[in-house]
Amino acid sequence: MSSSPALARHPSERETSAIMTESASTVEPVQSPVTIGVLAARWFRLNKGRMRAALIGVLSLVAFLIVWHLLTKYRVVFFVRFTNVPSPLAVYASFTKAIHDPKFLMHILLSCRRIIFGFSLATLVAVPLGLVMGRFKLIHEMVFPVSEVLRPIPAIAWVPMAIMLWPTNEQSIVFITFLGSFFPILVNTLHGMVLVDPVLVRAARCLGARESSIFREVYFPASLPHIFTGLTVGMGVAWVSLIAAEMISGQYGIGYFTWEAYSLVQYADIALGMIAIGVLGLTSSLLIRSAGRLAMPWGRT
Amino acid sequence: MSLIEAKAAEGHIEVKNFALSYETIDGSVAAVSDTQIHVKPGEFVSIVGPSGCGKSTLLNAVAGFLKPTAGTVTVDGEEVKGPSAERGMVFQQYSLFPWKTVRENVEFGLKMRGMERSRRERAARTLLGIAGLEAFEKHYPERLSGGMKQRVGIVRALATGPKVLLLDEPFGALDAQTRVIMQQILTNMWQRLKISVLFVTHDIDEAIFLSDRVYCMTARPGSIKAEIPIPLERPRQQSMMMSSEFLGLRRGLMSLIREESLKAMGGEITDLGMQGLNIELNGHSLADVL
Repeated sequence: MSSSPALARHPSERETSAIMTESASTVEPVQSPVTIGVLAARWFRLNKGRMRAALIGVLSLVAFLIVWHLLTKYRVVFFVRFTNVPSPLAVYASFTKAIHDPKFLMHILLSCRRIIFGFSLATLVAVPLGLVMGRFKLIHEMVFPVSEVLRPIPAIAWVPMAIMLWPTNEQSIVFITFLGSFFPILVNTLHGMVLVDPVLVRAARCLGARESSIFREVYFPASLPHIFTGLTVGMGVAWVSLIAAEMISGQYGIGYFTWEAYSLVQYADIALGMIAIGVLGLTSSLLIRSAGRLAMPWGRT
Repeated sequence: MSLIEAKAAEGHIEVKNFALSYETIDGSVAAVSDTQIHVKPGEFVSIVGPSGCGKSTLLNAVAGFLKPTAGTVTVDGEEVKGPSAERGMVFQQYSLFPWKTVRENVEFGLKMRGMERSRRERAARTLLGIAGLEAFEKHYPERLSGGMKQRVGIVRALATGPKVLLLDEPFGALDAQTRVIMQQILTNMWQRLKISVLFVTHDIDEAIFLSDRVYCMTARPGSIKAEIPIPLERPRQQSMMMSSEFLGLRRGLMSLIREESLKAMGGEITDLGMQGLNIELNGHSLADVL
């Protein structure tokens, strides 16, 4: 290094680099002798808020179950009628029965498969379309009016049309799920593209980036947070659409299971179906959130 | 170490008969008119002027982001047609890629040039080492202070070995102490690299402290009002800012800028006018007094 004339040390440099290292070192945490006790105390101090929140969360869930239990036990009728509502214990009993029942598991698996197909297709189409629309004016001008006209139509309103369009029932349900998640993903991706900081694009240009590189290195990662917002919202709407479609035209699936339970007067199964839907929705949104955290390690420390 | 070797006689910026205007509904509005500037190879030149005078516009034209309405912008005789890695740029808004680590940010230009991963990693590490940032190579920009971000920004712009470095108020968002340190780091790097620098600022002290020459621009539409050589010896030290020579230069530039700033604000405020602003109401309503 020292052989290069460009790197010849300058008299004032020592002073400057001293300043630089000084300003750098202040960022590192101060080290003190660490024992397990100190560590535990520190951990407790740092996570106190989170533990408090978790504790209160558990308590309120328990309170919810108790209220539910009391309302059904005394068959309260006060505007709403709890006469036929199953108690938590009855629901638990039907849950223990259902997890050994292959038919119930099949309902769940079929619903999951429909979600996976519909949602993945929507992601594969909407994300690239949104990116391209955000980048190329002509495509935006062509696609946007059509999407704005179709967007306000709820996916459920597509059910009759879907049955006409697709040869099998299964395909039409996947199509409904696709439609439900498609627009939230498209709109959010597009929004992310609009918000890309133009200074970053200029910086990339100055560093010799060409159009395709700018797309890959700047526009796409800059839009990712919004894309993931779209995916989270899209997943929610996908479940809503799926359950509705299954209740209307399905023969299988957790939505069909819930509706069938009502027709067959198996009231505990209604609540079981609802809870299953809730758990599935929660799990899928958690999955997306952790995928987002993996894809965007820069977002949080 | 070919990356940061001295570019002996390269980086001659020449802006001739330059004018730039925007089209609006009311017709075209001139941002910059009839401007000539030049930067000799290895020279440090600043442009100062009142806000809105078009100094950033001029810099953006040299970078290749804006096309002149009239005149030419050339670097080493070649006309500037668009942005390129030959003209490194540092922006006031730090403009680091938030999704890239410090090292990946510095590597970016080399990656665009198609350099293989191991080589560009090594190059980026060396550069970060020079800037005292090697401990932060794996950090994301969000975790850095403003001064560190801008240091990374400068290192990133220099990584591709540009002929000229363009800086658009790079320290404008920093606090006074960090600013002074950053000025020293910049002069330090510039002296080692012998690169031509065009520096836009509204801070007169900064311009004098850093530059070989300072261009002072007029209010909008901007043009060059004066060209002031800075004969202060190098290396520059903080203590020079108290010297009579420095203060003399400062006073001269101040009055030039003041004139233009007043013009930009819509005319001279006379002493009488200033007195008029000091209205004594004495219990009367404002309308009565006026």
